[in-house]
Amino acid sequence: MNIEASPWKGSLLLLLVSNLLLWQSVTPLPVCPGGAVRCQVTLRDLFDRAVVLSHYIHNLSSEMFSEFDKRYTQGRGFISKALNSCHTSSLATPEDKEQAQQISQKDFLSLIVSILRSWNEPLYHLVTEVRGMQEAPEAILSKAIEIEEQSKRLLEGMELILSQVHPETRENAVYSVWSGLPSLQMADEESRLFAYYNLLHCLRRDSHKIDNYLKLLKCRIVHDNNC
Amino acid sequence: MDLWQLLLTLALAGSSDAFSGRENSSKKPKFTKCRSPELETFSCHWTDAVHHGLKNPGPIQLFYTRRNAQEGTQEWKECPDYVSAGENSCYFNSSFTSIWIPYCIKLTSNGGTVDEKCFSVNQIVQPDPPIALNWTLLNISLTGVHADIQVRWEAPPNADIQKGWMVLEYELQYKEVNETQWKMMDPILSTSVPLYSLRVDKEYEVRVRSKQRKSENYGEFSEVLYVKLPQMSQFTCEEDFYFPWLLIIIFGISGLTVMLFVFLFSKQQRIKMLILPPVPVPKIKGIDPDLLKEGKLEEVNTILAIHDSCKPEFHSDDSWVEFIELDIEDPDEKTEGSDTDRLLSSDHEKSHSNLGVKDGDSGRTSCYEPDMLETDFNASDIHDGTSQVVQPQRLKGEADLLCLDQKNQNNSPYHDACPAIHQPSVIQAEKNKPQPLLTDGAESTHQAAHIQLSNPSSLANIDFYAQVSDITPAGSVVLSPGQKNKAGVSQCDMHPEVSLCQANFIMDNAYFCEADAKKCIPVAPHIKVESHTEPSFNQEDIYITTESLTTTSGRPGTAEHVPGSEMPVPDYTSIHIVQSPQGLILNATALPLPDKEFLSSCGYVSTDQLNKIMP
Repeated sequence: MNIEASPWKGSLLLLLVSNLLLWQSVTPLPVCPGGAVRCQVTLRDLFDRAVVLSHYIHNLSSEMFSEFDKRYTQGRGFISKALNSCHTSSLATPEDKEQAQQISQKDFLSLIVSILRSWNEPLYHLVTEVRGMQEAPEAILSKAIEIEEQSKRLLEGMELILSQVHPETRENAVYSVWSGLPSLQMADEESRLFAYYNLLHCLRRDSHKIDNYLKLLKCRIVHDNNC
Repeated sequence: MDLWQLLLTLALAGSSDAFSGRENSSKKPKFTKCRSPELETFSCHWTDAVHHGLKNPGPIQLFYTRRNAQEGTQEWKECPDYVSAGENSCYFNSSFTSIWIPYCIKLTSNGGTVDEKCFSVNQIVQPDPPIALNWTLLNISLTGVHADIQVRWEAPPNADIQKGWMVLEYELQYKEVNETQWKMMDPILSTSVPLYSLRVDKEYEVRVRSKQRKSENYGEFSEVLYVKLPQMSQFTCEEDFYFPWLLIIIFGISGLTVMLFVFLFSKQQRIKMLILPPVPVPKIKGIDPDLLKEGKLEEVNTILAIHDSCKPEFHSDDSWVEFIELDIEDPDEKTEGSDTDRLLSSDHEKSHSNLGVKDGDSGRTSCYEPDMLETDFNASDIHDGTSQVVQPQRLKGEADLLCLDQKNQNNSPYHDACPAIHQPSVIQAEKNKPQPLLTDGAESTHQAAHIQLSNPSSLANIDFYAQVSDITPAGSVVLSPGQKNKAGVSQCDMHPEVSLCQANFIMDNAYFCEADAKKCIPVAPHIKVESHTEPSFNQEDIYITTESLTTTSGRPGTAEHVPGSEMPVPDYTSIHIVQSPQGLILNATALPLPDKEFLSSCGYVSTDQLNKIMP
């Protein structure tokens, strides 16, 4: 990929600064000792912070995707080729509001946790691959790093919420395995670009899902369906 | 020609296309927009096909597919509802809508695909406009001119806010009724917002639009809300007072410009000097810098000599010490004793090298002419051993006290010959050629004798005698700037000495040391070599060395003697009494040149007497 780093440096700097400023308000979730009966942080605060995190992650992934598309794949019509082939499709996620309303609260939370877990490895590899690129695009790399960081935090937060809301839930290790690493390293540029496109597209979609689900859950649990 | 043909062909093709287009359906239907208002349903719209031809095109159909890998191969399904969303639209209700699954739709006409589009529903969200806008008055200012209001509205009904399915943010815009530009406020999440500082006498319009928080597309604007504020007072308001910043700036700049021009073009030097003081150029009065450039030190020395104020400076220890110290390269010399010894002793240690040292010292004002010294040096170098041995004294004498040492100069010429009385030029002539003097005694004498008859005026510039102005602690003699020495030496002692002295001792500016005075007074008919010095003194400066004085000290001389006629002595006083070898009593005559500092450097004048003389 021929990537020009210079035009992105300004935006990268701005983004980093804005990230720093944004994350001033979002301090790490104060971790209550595991299993503590009483916790200082209320559920409402936990959900508020989780929603903020998920919103931020979705914004980042949207920007990352549009930057990537604008720079590398504009006009190639990849969208028409993009199958719904995200690795998280195997998870039974609700696809519309009715389905979301029908799923139980506990399942819902577990589902969110599973999605987040499923993205740990792809995000890690995404960062590694983009970093190892010749003329690595700074903007995309920085966003990828930030998304990886924040999604880890969100996962911790969600596990905390889960332990608070449903303490009896065993730690389930259900998550989707990502096997798209070879496609990211393909020699053929077109195939490689498509692999990246797909990955970023899936990331944007899943972050939107998580954001929506969390907002639903927050209204359901905290505000009793009366946001 | 080929180019023209190509262009013609293209034009024909284009026109044929257009022509054919008119017959067939001119425009293809295209998707204009697909929109989901609440993230539960969506609809797509397209442009109507324009039919101009006779042929009736087939109905336009929309096919869609959900690209879901799990559902197997994709298959195109037809639009479920062509009606609900209006004409040329397709409406997908919630059962057909999946949020995060990509859709592809295509438009067909006569079996041919006209347009195609792929998207995800979550990307095409455009909420409905808010409803139920209203406003309430918050407060009115004390003046009754301004008021604050609170605008409220409700979210669009189809957006499920309560369950958190959608999170909307709103943008409010308002303006006066007469204005054309809407004022925008920042996006907010709540459904009410205050508007501050609205003018009571004006009517306003307010509108709100919403958008999904994560997407970029705003929905449509709501209906316009008219705000008419109640007027409390019947008086018309005055216009707001706007501080006349512009006027102040303009006047300030113009005032500054005027002042600047006044300063620049003002003829008042004072003002100009205040702003731009002139930088003084360094220069010395009377000295032409060109002189220094040309290296004419003689003129410079002369000029500097005129500046009496410069004398002491020049005779200050700095430059002289510097000079002298270079002379004194041997440490033995510093152990020398009295000044006399220094003046008279034969310093063998004084090397030839001392001679030619001081060339570039412009502060030096004396008869130590660089040329002379250089020639001395050269001459002495040339005639090395013998001359050195032969003429150590003479050499030394010349080196130290060139001007003062009249011993050689005076003696030598008179050694052999008895030239005419008035030979003021003799000495000058002798002085003119120190080189031959130095080289060989005999030679010098011969030459000197020869020179005696030479042109006397050739040495106008060279000082033969120099006034000893001071004796430095180092033991050397500080010479004052030389004046022309017109001391004539009477060769012969045939004249009565007294008269000779009297006649010759025109002591206008003559300062005599003892010995010279003694020469005059006791007139010894015999002529001795060493005591032969009887310089005739003109009205000009006469420098007499102590050496010359001491040489004549051996003369039998009456202590008392007729003092020389008192003549006006510009620089030097006449000798009144010669009491003893220890002192001279000098006439405290008025010195015509009072500005000349009169430094006793003889060492033979008692201090009180000297103090009388000193102005």
